[in-house]
Amino acid sequence: MITFRRAVQIFSLILFLLLLGLAVSSTDTPAPLDLFLLLDPVLVAFTAISARILAIAFIPAFLVLLVTLFFGRVFCGYMCPMGTTLDGGDKLFGTQGKKRPQTGKLSLLKYIVLFFLLGASVLGVSFVFVAAPLSLITRFYGLLVHPVLAFFSNETLVLIQPLAEWFGIDTLVFMRINTPRFATQLFVLAFFIALFVLARVSPRFWCRNLCPSGALMALVSRKPLIRRFVSDDCTECGKCAHSCPMAAIITDDPHITLHEECIVCRTCQNTCPENAISFNSVKAESTYEKKGVSLTRRQFIYSGLAGAATATVGLTGLNSVYGKPGPGQVAPQGLIRPPGALPEMDFLAQCVRCGECMAACPTNTLQPIWLDAGFMGLFSPALNLRRSYCSPECNMCGEVCPTDAIRRLSLNERMWAKTGTAVIFRRKCLAWEQQKSCMVCDEVCPYKAVEFIKEPGNRVPVPQVHEEKCAGCGYCEHFCPVQNQSAIVVTPMGAIRMSEGSYVAEGTNQGLNLSIRPKSAYDTQPEGKVWGKGFAPGFEDDNSGGD
Amino acid sequence: MNRREFLKCQATGLLWMLAGGSGILLPKRIMAGPVPDLAVVKGSPAAATRAAVELLGGMKQFVKPGNRVVIKPNMSFPSPPERASNTHPEVVRVIAAMCKEAGADRILVLDHTLAPEELCMENSGIREACKPISEKMVFTPSDESLYKTKKIPKGKVMTSTDIMKEVLKSDVLIAAPVAKSHSSAGVSLSMKGMMGLIYNRRVMHWRFDLHTSIVDLCTVLKADLTVIDGTRVLSTNGPRGPGKVLNKNTVIASKDMVAADAYAVSAFEWYGKRFKPGQVRHIREAHERGLGRMDVENLTIRAIDL
Repeated sequence: MITFRRAVQIFSLILFLLLLGLAVSSTDTPAPLDLFLLLDPVLVAFTAISARILAIAFIPAFLVLLVTLFFGRVFCGYMCPMGTTLDGGDKLFGTQGKKRPQTGKLSLLKYIVLFFLLGASVLGVSFVFVAAPLSLITRFYGLLVHPVLAFFSNETLVLIQPLAEWFGIDTLVFMRINTPRFATQLFVLAFFIALFVLARVSPRFWCRNLCPSGALMALVSRKPLIRRFVSDDCTECGKCAHSCPMAAIITDDPHITLHEECIVCRTCQNTCPENAISFNSVKAESTYEKKGVSLTRRQFIYSGLAGAATATVGLTGLNSVYGKPGPGQVAPQGLIRPPGALPEMDFLAQCVRCGECMAACPTNTLQPIWLDAGFMGLFSPALNLRRSYCSPECNMCGEVCPTDAIRRLSLNERMWAKTGTAVIFRRKCLAWEQQKSCMVCDEVCPYKAVEFIKEPGNRVPVPQVHEEKCAGCGYCEHFCPVQNQSAIVVTPMGAIRMSEGSYVAEGTNQGLNLSIRPKSAYDTQPEGKVWGKGFAPGFEDDNSGGD
Repeated sequence: MNRREFLKCQATGLLWMLAGGSGILLPKRIMAGPVPDLAVVKGSPAAATRAAVELLGGMKQFVKPGNRVVIKPNMSFPSPPERASNTHPEVVRVIAAMCKEAGADRILVLDHTLAPEELCMENSGIREACKPISEKMVFTPSDESLYKTKKIPKGKVMTSTDIMKEVLKSDVLIAAPVAKSHSSAGVSLSMKGMMGLIYNRRVMHWRFDLHTSIVDLCTVLKADLTVIDGTRVLSTNGPRGPGKVLNKNTVIASKDMVAADAYAVSAFEWYGKRFKPGQVRHIREAHERGLGRMDVENLTIRAIDL
């Protein structure tokens, strides 16, 4: 039988997946695609602290905390996609019914995680991405499940193609689903395998013992308004304690509830043979209240200090761009941030590595990185322009970013959000090095930033980049026919990174001249660039005598 | 041109369009005489296309009832017809319609696009134009599972390549390129256009000699009918443009890809200059290797103005 709670959980998970699906399919929609991420209290609160910002968008998470204050951890029990997924995992891999070892004091770990993250975020360093549940679950579905599903769907289409041909359904014959590919998916895979394996130790092992958002909500739900109440009918059979997924009921005395651990799933209520359990607003102080074990003050402080210390180590890493850019800053080479990404330090403080931007990126150029930008930049998004270009007419990553680490730009502003500048490696270039007639970079450049010129001693024209016209979109790098590393590569040089203000104004100020072929000008028959004296690329001189 | 002339012009155009569109009046008059090597018709895209094919004896010369036909236009770029980087949608539509009239069983319009597929099919106007003939006939296969490796026995540098399965299965291949300049190949016409039917065209740039490998490719992808859309010619900055667009209102048709390409080279100005067909190396090589003839001066040409 599907209980009310299961129904809400499933509905909530479906809604979460639906919003993610809308983001993945680049649908232009007024729906709040980042809604669930903004419900995660730790993700939002610590981002606010590490980035020193307060935004209206952060209200949902505070509402969740408010609800928790009155009704307990209902978010964990009913809404959290991570919790629902783990419940599903428990059904599949767990050991229901069997006796499981008590995990007891392990549940204190989550407070250590919480204060570790807090310590780091006070110093302006965000580590929420290693533990915030919504960040992890969004990556799980967006960067792991989504490509796997796409892969299988495509293989299915290939498999049924003969059938589709037989029935003459051409749409199906030609339909293919591009499989997105992502870096770092091994981390997500290993992480979730670990969580599912831990489900064999105890149900909701993650929520009980590790989840920092659970810990934060536990702190405010020690005495919620609506809470578990055991009447005198209780025979102390202990069935409820055994059935509780959160180990919130003391086995020795089932009257006692650890409210901060209770997710109001009401499993105990359904299990109780005496109907002795109810969830009510408890007016009188029950005699059966007991304080759960908690960290000592010293432990709190130590975990906070550990977080701060780790953050400091991160800030002193070679690749950390702490402070103003200048000589001696070893910014990672070739690291291209998405268009509209904040200045690097702000960006890292604000980015929660949920992977929403990468899942939504229609060309799949946006990839999570490993340690390219030091461990503070772990899993942050960067463009892999060899994989694909970054379309100047797309602002999807900014649209879906829950914390505005990538700014939400109008299409015109986005067009000016320069991500880097293309550089030609002449020794690899077919035209420069091998004198082969190739103009692919010019053909594909939407900004018309590549020009081919006649070079003395070379029988074919050779490419040159006009830096002031180049926005670093990477069409050239992606399409360059040279194998392996492209002969034209976008470097972060000249990227515009601003936390506020207009990219058009800034770009114009810097003397940039960025324009993609304006649609409105199509019918004006624009003249092309003027080649030098009768030069026609690709044609040969007439020396044949005309045979 | 004064107003009267203008109106006259419009009226004549309209009449011819009706005539061409109906396909009843035209054949009787222009079918007279032997079938030429090259048909060159000036007029609106739809009427000129129909007339050009009729001059070659009509579509029934190429398409038999029950045939599977693949039409290969240029629709690699998300730009509208007036930019001349794609084939005019009307040209594609008329060819497809004529195939259907000739009794073709299955007609597909295929191109492996450079730019995002949806945008290309949408902005080129080709998918929309073909809708009246069939809701589903324009496709842009890009997944490798839709291609099959094919040996090129006569290949000099490229000896095999992956070609669209649908093309390999087809009975009739019709090249319907737009006439445009190409920064690497000089011009992009019917022969260069065949690169849009294979999976890996990059390799033709970086490993092989581009011109020689184009000819290699055309030894296996030899169009049965070539209809070059010269209604607008992208004279500079091809293949993508924007470049100088010449409004030539011309459609060239031939059984011989090389002859059609050669005629297009000599008929239009490129970068403000005149060129001989032999100045485009892949055309010259194709001629030398016996794939077709570039000596257009020795061919029979029927040219009419609508």
